[in-house]
Amino acid sequence: MTSFPTRVRGISVLDRVSLLALGLALGLAFLTPPEASQGNVARLFYLHVPAVSVAYLAFVAALIGSMGYLITRNMKFDHLAVAGAEVGVVFTGSTILAGMIWAKPTWGVYWTWSARLTLTAILLFVYLGYLALRRLIADPSTRARRASLYGTLSIIQIPIIHFSVIWWRDIHQLGTIANPTGIQMDGILRVAFVAGFVAFSMIATALCVRRYQLARLEHQLHLALEEGAGTFAGDGVSSPQLVATERGEVV
Amino acid sequence: MRVHALAIARRDLLRERRAGEVLWVTIPFAAVALLLIPLAIGTDQPTLERIGLGLFWVVVLLFGVLIAIRRSAAETPEQRDLTALLGLDPAAEFIGQAAASALLLLGFEVVVGAIAVVLYNIELALWFWIFIVMFSAGVGLALLGTLASVIARSVNAGPTLVPFLVAPLAVPILLAATQALNPSESTRSILSWVLLMLITDLVLVIGGMLSARSLQETR
Repeated sequence: MTSFPTRVRGISVLDRVSLLALGLALGLAFLTPPEASQGNVARLFYLHVPAVSVAYLAFVAALIGSMGYLITRNMKFDHLAVAGAEVGVVFTGSTILAGMIWAKPTWGVYWTWSARLTLTAILLFVYLGYLALRRLIADPSTRARRASLYGTLSIIQIPIIHFSVIWWRDIHQLGTIANPTGIQMDGILRVAFVAGFVAFSMIATALCVRRYQLARLEHQLHLALEEGAGTFAGDGVSSPQLVATERGEVV
Repeated sequence: MRVHALAIARRDLLRERRAGEVLWVTIPFAAVALLLIPLAIGTDQPTLERIGLGLFWVVVLLFGVLIAIRRSAAETPEQRDLTALLGLDPAAEFIGQAAASALLLLGFEVVVGAIAVVLYNIELALWFWIFIVMFSAGVGLALLGTLASVIARSVNAGPTLVPFLVAPLAVPILLAATQALNPSESTRSILSWVLLMLITDLVLVIGGMLSARSLQETR
């Protein structure tokens, strides 16, 4: 019989340190002076860029999980895939929202057809579809098998992402972070950005760990219920049966 | 495998000929969409000429998915059990189903394309490339739709879920198809867009064939 844990562990060290790092990063974001050309609205940059970087990493984890399950059929990979996808969706949503709030005063519109913006929104919908698919399939192994294939199919987005900068004339500024000459920011702004990236990475890792644990518990619960480990009110009551007496009569 | 795939494709096409779902439902539905769009965005002829090709490909993407999930291609669990017991190669079954959908999609593209040309006054040139692009896009959408319908098989919300699964993944096909046939506004050559579509098709063929056995579910 599968043992099923009845208690979930409390707040871990990683959770505490992540929250502390997030508080520190937010504090730094507000302590930095306003950016020279954009003013206070540029503070969203400390949220927007770390969130999108972490979201991409989470989707990479989802892709690894999906491919890993297809190859090994180990449910651990499926748990990793769902954790990565859910965390990725949350951070992508935050990225788009922060970007829209930033874009309105800066570009004059909430939405513009920038390659990166469009592809980020498309990635969000790919993984929303992935999560919708998972929700609609009850059996864990069927769900894992089908979701892992869809998660792996998302690989066809890679050439689009790779070539998008060439295909579109992008309004997004290039090279603030990924610049051959280094990060294009002054002292305290750079510290605030790095703190934001560290904090968001830690929060995303903590969320991934939690979601992975939850997925594992859900799977264990399913196995336990399948094996009849769960006892429910009314289990002891049976339906009326015909009983044979000692003389062979059925009563 | 080739014999099995051909047999499956022939079976699906025969079933579609009897049902007539694509001809009598999907194509008229797409034609209605082509008629409705100018009513919503305005009937300025130069604008429609400029964006007509893009509108055509959006309609092909959104309505073409319905071809892959047509009722005449749906299999009951009993039919799936039977094909598995007969020893049919799942990869051949996938290829056969996708081939039937691709042929229907090509027919759909030709008819809906003719309607779009008439309605939006689209100028046609580069006939050779038009054929190549329509073929590559049709095959890609058919493969993607077939894969998605296998993934969403027996799911209650399947008919809604499949278009949702397909649409964001079809971005390479949509982009390549629109850009390849619009060289004046494209930054790349036609060949590079066609290559993108062919690579996408190849990835989908390999993905579908490799995963076909693991997605074969019998009772």
